[in-house]
Amino acid sequence: MPAELSREPVADDADVPRGFPEGFGAGEEERAATLVLVSLLGIAPKRLHALAWAEGTASGCLAAIRSGAAGSQADGAFARAADPSSIAAAATALGARFVTPADAEYVRPLLDLLADPPIGLFVKGRPLTGMPDVVAVVGARNCSSLGNEMAMDIGSALGSAGACVVSGAARGIDAAAHRGALAAGGTSIAVLGSGIDLPYPKGSAQLLERIAAVGAVVTEYAPGVKAEPFRFPARNRLVAALSRALVVVEGAEGSGSMISVEHALDLGRDVFAVPGTVTNPLAQVPLALIREGATLIRGADDLLADLGLAARLAVAPPPGLPDDERRIYEQMVEPLLPDALARRAGISIPTAVTALVSLEMKHLVRAVGGRYERRLSAPAPPAVPR
Amino acid sequence: MYGRVLGVTVLGVGGHLVTVEAHVGRGLPSLTLTGLPGAAVRDATDRIRPAVEGAGLEWPLRRVVVNLAPGNLRKEGPGLDLPVAMGVLSATAQVPSTFLARYAFAGELSLKGELMPTPGVLSVAIEAARKGLEGVIVPAPNAREAAQVEGLHVVSAASLADVVGFLRGTWTPDEPPPPVGDDATAGTSVDLADVRGQQQARRALEVAAAGGHNVLLVGSPGAGKTMLARRMTTILPRLSREEALEATQLHSVAGLLAGGDGVLRARPFRAPHHSVSQVGLLGGGATYLRPGEVSLAHHGVLFLDEFTEFRRDAVEGLRQPLEDGRVVITRAIGSVEFPARFTLVAAANPCPCGFDGDPRRQCRCRPDRAEVYRQKLSGPLLDRIDLRLRVPRLTKTELMGEQTGEPSDVVRDRVQRARDVQRARWSALGVACNGHLPGPVARRQVHMEPAAEEFLGGAVESMGLTGRGFDRALKVARTVADLEDAQRVTAGHMAEALSYRDGFGGEGLSRAG
Repeated sequence: MPAELSREPVADDADVPRGFPEGFGAGEEERAATLVLVSLLGIAPKRLHALAWAEGTASGCLAAIRSGAAGSQADGAFARAADPSSIAAAATALGARFVTPADAEYVRPLLDLLADPPIGLFVKGRPLTGMPDVVAVVGARNCSSLGNEMAMDIGSALGSAGACVVSGAARGIDAAAHRGALAAGGTSIAVLGSGIDLPYPKGSAQLLERIAAVGAVVTEYAPGVKAEPFRFPARNRLVAALSRALVVVEGAEGSGSMISVEHALDLGRDVFAVPGTVTNPLAQVPLALIREGATLIRGADDLLADLGLAARLAVAPPPGLPDDERRIYEQMVEPLLPDALARRAGISIPTAVTALVSLEMKHLVRAVGGRYERRLSAPAPPAVPR
Repeated sequence: MYGRVLGVTVLGVGGHLVTVEAHVGRGLPSLTLTGLPGAAVRDATDRIRPAVEGAGLEWPLRRVVVNLAPGNLRKEGPGLDLPVAMGVLSATAQVPSTFLARYAFAGELSLKGELMPTPGVLSVAIEAARKGLEGVIVPAPNAREAAQVEGLHVVSAASLADVVGFLRGTWTPDEPPPPVGDDATAGTSVDLADVRGQQQARRALEVAAAGGHNVLLVGSPGAGKTMLARRMTTILPRLSREEALEATQLHSVAGLLAGGDGVLRARPFRAPHHSVSQVGLLGGGATYLRPGEVSLAHHGVLFLDEFTEFRRDAVEGLRQPLEDGRVVITRAIGSVEFPARFTLVAAANPCPCGFDGDPRRQCRCRPDRAEVYRQKLSGPLLDRIDLRLRVPRLTKTELMGEQTGEPSDVVRDRVQRARDVQRARWSALGVACNGHLPGPVARRQVHMEPAAEEFLGGAVESMGLTGRGFDRALKVARTVADLEDAQRVTAGHMAEALSYRDGFGGEGLSRAG
């Protein structure tokens, strides 16, 4: 019998309470202290969290580290020299803001990380508070093209259903999921394993700009911190924490995807997996998860149905459409002939055809065998004419 | 003893007057033909004597030489049987020479002396009229087609004996039938009103007919492609008298003008099977150059069903007629030109199995095979097809909900008005309709509203429209505007034109072509 996959969130250190002490990070002085704390590289979030409860305030924690009562020598030296205002200025210059546990934007789900919630976050883009349903899509960096397509389709389906896709902005599945969500006009959150100014991979800068424009880019690392392999598992715990459900598209045995799943399970998040052939190395993580009880999904439709999101699809045409196009779009609940669409929308056939071609040009609908249907997946860029 | 009569040989579609001289002199009984007779004419030598004797006349038991002048012109066709026989009869003084210089003779003879239906009689009559002759003497089954030529006395004879009787003044031929007037209506059995649903396809056919555009219909088996194509002829403008004569002449030359009133009243609809050879499609032949399907479809519709299955060489050969409205066939025995100005309606399945995009049947094609199949549908020929349309197979519910559409006559009136507008506009360019506009001219001469220009520009960006696709959209949009008699092309016209840009749903031909 496969083991039961869902687990209740459990604290492995019963002494440390959930969340942060009242008033931790609130006010000018506390914010400045938190900025320094978050910039420390030698102390793990778990130790900081415990320290927060021991000291009660950020200033207290900082004083303990400066005095050498807590943390490493390097941290102590850094803390004594650090200038919070210059860190804040660096973040501001990058268009990011600093969020402490006392801010409303420090969203509650982050506190499901009982032992190691982030002590602070740098956020660029829209406020995290206003985000709709957040779903994590993770998987292999070195994915197959089918996996890439699947991630794109899932991202796009979530985007058009009004959900937000959170992922790590890495190559492969992560990037595809982000792109899918953006192409469908949805929102997305990228969680980085580096400072906001040094994204990894370097080629992702443009994608991150687009994500920040409609969603948010989040990191618990101060500007100037380089991406290192050991930071990615920590980044993955934030991806899991921010989401209400996690989807694994592809992953080879022993890959980082498994770490995200472990976090998601610890946090009590639903886990979904897209299966593959048993001999396909990239299918090993999803298949193992399914065997342990994760929900098998055949694609975006299954996922939306399981999340109860499918119903939204039919209602919301993208904003700003001209009247004719909106009416046609609203009627397009299934693949329909132009004649039928015109009749249902109560407009003439030539008007309907005009609207359909215009919608097609906006990549909102596609023609399939003479009938028109709404697009889910991100459009392929038009080929360059020979 | 010498006799001289007039005949006409038909090369390609045109007739050429031939003087048939006969000499009867001393020697063993024989008949020799000189003057470059073709195979079919040389074939006649053994046929003429029994025919003459079968008519109760006398064959001279002497050496007979028949010369066909001019000697540098190849003589083709069975229509020279009668002139050869008459030459011999004249040389032996069995008929008076009264009419011989004023009438042309044409007709194939049977061994009993009957006149058989003969191809090309209309061309004979046209040539006779042009050479200022008074009349023609033709087989009775061909009398009606010959009678289409005005100012020509048509003698319709059933046998060689009748012809001799006419010359001797002992037999009076029937009054020839009057020429068919302009108002003759085509008695076709099909009508656009028969088509249920398929509003977009009906509209596309109307646009194609109005602008003289070629059409590609892509759809699953049973979608109704053939049914739609068949009705294309019923919405094209009515045949004018000149057009009817041209088309009739081609059918006459091909020997396809059986019975009826001797003239085509409706636009021809030709649907050759995809196994047709290049010669069958374009014309030609080893001994006698016949018009092909493209010429038989002159002023009408050439329907190529299963377009992808046609032989590559045959289909590539369509480029000249589509471009110039004629085919030139050059063989060892000479070169002829046939007119071939037709509307091409091509039909194809969307993929090898035929069910790509069908809501009820799953396509079973491997993606790479489907791609290869679509590639077949691209290329230079496809550039000459302005409208590409997807014809969906309708579900039962979709069919039930539809009322019958407009009858062909109503659509044809709109098409005719749009054609009149185009003829007036392009008369200076010598172009009859938008479909025949060269691309660069379309880019200069098609005037758009700014919104339409913007729309077209957007299509280039977001749909990957190619340069040729751009030109096609311009021409089709001009036709859509002409159907409304609009001066300038609006964004709405342009959008409709863009909806006909390919038959595969935006991701197939617009890229390939």
